[in-house]
Amino acid sequence: MSTDNTDDAGAVLVEDFEDRPIRERIAENPRPAAIWALGFAALVAVQFGAIAGVLVNSIPWGTLLGPFPPIPGSGSVNAAGQWVADLPTLLSRELVPNEGYYVPGEGWQETFLGLSPALAWAFRVVLVYAYAAAFVAWIWYAYVLFRRHYRYADWTPRDDVVARLRTHRWGQFGLVIVLAFVVMALFAPVLATAPLEQNIVDPYSNTIEYYDNGAGEVVETTAGDANRESASRGGDSNVGPMSYDNYDRFHPLGTMPSGQDLFTFMVFGARVSLLIGLLSLAISSVAAAALALFGAYYKGKLDLSFVLISDSVQAMPRLLLLVLLSVVLANTWIGGLYSGAVVLALIFGATGWPALWRAVRGPALQVADREWIDAARSYGQASTTTMRRHMLPYILGYLLIYASMTLGGIIVGVAGLSFLGLGVDSPTPEWGRAINAGQDYVTTSSWHISLMPGIFIVLVVTAFNALGDGIRDAIDPQSDGGGDADEAAAGGTGA
Amino acid sequence: MSRLGYLLRRILLAIPVVIFGTSLTFLIIRLGPIDPAAAIVGSPDTPSAQAQYEETREQLGLTQPLWEQYIEFMTDLLLFNLGQSWVLSPGAGTYDLILTYAPRTLWLGFWSILIAVCLGIPLGFYAGLNPNTRADYLVSFGGIVWRAMPNFWLAIILLALFAQSQQYFFGFNWSGFLVESEVTGAYDFSDITTWDGFVREFKRVFPAALVLGSASMGNEVRIGRTAVLETINSNYVETAKAKGVSAKKIVWKHVFRNALIPLVPVITSEAFLLIGGAVLVEVVFGINGLGYLFFQAVINGDLPLVASLMYVFILVLVGVNILQDVLYTIIDPRVGLEEGGA
Repeated sequence: MSTDNTDDAGAVLVEDFEDRPIRERIAENPRPAAIWALGFAALVAVQFGAIAGVLVNSIPWGTLLGPFPPIPGSGSVNAAGQWVADLPTLLSRELVPNEGYYVPGEGWQETFLGLSPALAWAFRVVLVYAYAAAFVAWIWYAYVLFRRHYRYADWTPRDDVVARLRTHRWGQFGLVIVLAFVVMALFAPVLATAPLEQNIVDPYSNTIEYYDNGAGEVVETTAGDANRESASRGGDSNVGPMSYDNYDRFHPLGTMPSGQDLFTFMVFGARVSLLIGLLSLAISSVAAAALALFGAYYKGKLDLSFVLISDSVQAMPRLLLLVLLSVVLANTWIGGLYSGAVVLALIFGATGWPALWRAVRGPALQVADREWIDAARSYGQASTTTMRRHMLPYILGYLLIYASMTLGGIIVGVAGLSFLGLGVDSPTPEWGRAINAGQDYVTTSSWHISLMPGIFIVLVVTAFNALGDGIRDAIDPQSDGGGDADEAAAGGTGA
Repeated sequence: MSRLGYLLRRILLAIPVVIFGTSLTFLIIRLGPIDPAAAIVGSPDTPSAQAQYEETREQLGLTQPLWEQYIEFMTDLLLFNLGQSWVLSPGAGTYDLILTYAPRTLWLGFWSILIAVCLGIPLGFYAGLNPNTRADYLVSFGGIVWRAMPNFWLAIILLALFAQSQQYFFGFNWSGFLVESEVTGAYDFSDITTWDGFVREFKRVFPAALVLGSASMGNEVRIGRTAVLETINSNYVETAKAKGVSAKKIVWKHVFRNALIPLVPVITSEAFLLIGGAVLVEVVFGINGLGYLFFQAVINGDLPLVASLMYVFILVLVGVNILQDVLYTIIDPRVGLEEGGA
């Protein structure tokens, strides 16, 4: 039996065809796979320009290839790459522009189909989420096709997990919100009402056009000047949610005290939060899994030393440790990467592993006591191979549950540090900074500045908790709330 | 193993944790790029400043090799020689600072635990006794959302609501209710023993305590609910029912007592959140407590004070941890004394 494909585990019939790789099974019945691949290609094709754009423009090819001698003809390769990157894409600001101005008598200019900026923007948002939904559905369809046409086993334990998740409404609610959040972060430039560079990072070097009623003509001004006139500072100076400012710019969530668009701020803030969350979770998950596996396999002194180390890290109040570390590391070279986001991820990873490790240590110790581990040992299998093949799959599920539940805590923690002025620095948007900016205006007409980011955070955190609940109930239906106490102890930074 | 032996073993195991945690603090502070001497006297750009800088370095012991600094650092702390503040309030002893700032944090922490316990546990038990009713859904969902709210955000919102209560609570004036009181600012304990003084300070701590206890209150609701549900469906409750024990007695004597067990770690683990989370709440409400002191010490580069405070926090948290394990063995005799280590 193949060892890599765990789907084979449930198969009862042990015949030679089971060893055939998936490639051959598809070759035997290529039709469903071909249809799926075609659909997938279509989905990728409409976004090809953007994907190529990331590859061509975001990766510093010049520095990467710098040491190598210039390849003949690289100029034309560059040109071709740029041409590919500039291909029209379905989800782009250029195809559905929402920035325009209203000329009395002539209607909206420069917006998509002459719609109002609000409608054009809403159309783009719907388009993005429809595309994302189609993409997710297509991936799900791949799983369905695989089960129907290419898997030999009629049933595997994983089917039950999926079936339990399909009836878990609370978990599904979490999944939907989490996906919406991820899409928000991925497609931030497309979802935003204005480009980040123009509206937030460097508004005084970018210009916008608007129709000046007094002069009766279209005038150009810098985005910075326009922002200054659209600031939300309570009282009369306010651009609330779902309203236009004097420059015909639509603000779905209103503006900030600096006049920047709050929605643009939020979508790019989602990007930074997600990046920090995932990066720090990757660090702490790898550390937690490695320590749990080695500790459970060798037990004794090694495990005890891990207990002591993790206890020591946990004996320091987490938020205060985060405060201390982010101040200490702020002025190092690493503190400057991505406005401090990278160093935050490292800090959260370095302080977050004990909680995760505590969650998977129990399961790891349990599985280490099974006969098959003894068998593998006496058979002479290398210890790391045993851990990877026979122990890791067992604890991965638990790791996933706790990782999902921790992610919400990390997002809150990052926001809390940024609120204190220690987290992600300007100009990179971060949700906690928006809350801080609106602190003085909560009871004024500009209440939206603090309230909206807070509601977003509550929603996302609840969703990650719900998703964790759903995965737990799906993987381990017996646990039924048994992990609540650990989870309460492990969760959150106290922010 | 006797309970005393267990306690001794836990304390013995805590010693390396304290030493290691303090060493980590030393590493973070000394190996980071912040120069404590420069933070105290400013950057040495003139000859006189240079001389003062060298002198301060000498005083702080920064001229010695790192391992000697480490040994001195550790022995000082372990002998409770906590030193003094250098930047924040130069010359003030750490003990004096802690004695000044700690009562405010303790007052805040005390009420945030009490309010959370008094509201969260009854709500959770109520939801557990009436499962799958509308009230249960309301309480459970409220607990989940309440727990997910970031403390600092909730603090801002509550601060605004309480400061302008007439506007939001149908004319109810919180500041003038019973006794005149401000919503923000440091606490004043000079007349705490009088009725007016007590009510005033309680009114002032209430919004902050509500915020700081929010996460644990959500946890208490959630865990209280599951705990009650689990005990209600257990065999001994069935037996008691079959024997004809009255419903009231079942609930009070058999269900609640056992449902309290899983709530113990929730309440004790709140100490962690209190010490850590107090920073944000104290900053928003303008309470200069321990968290605020630590935060100010960190951003002003008062590293000797930071180290001493961190050491005190470590001691408190390790102590709470031991207390929690011992409490466990008292409440629930089934918890093994042998395996409860680590």
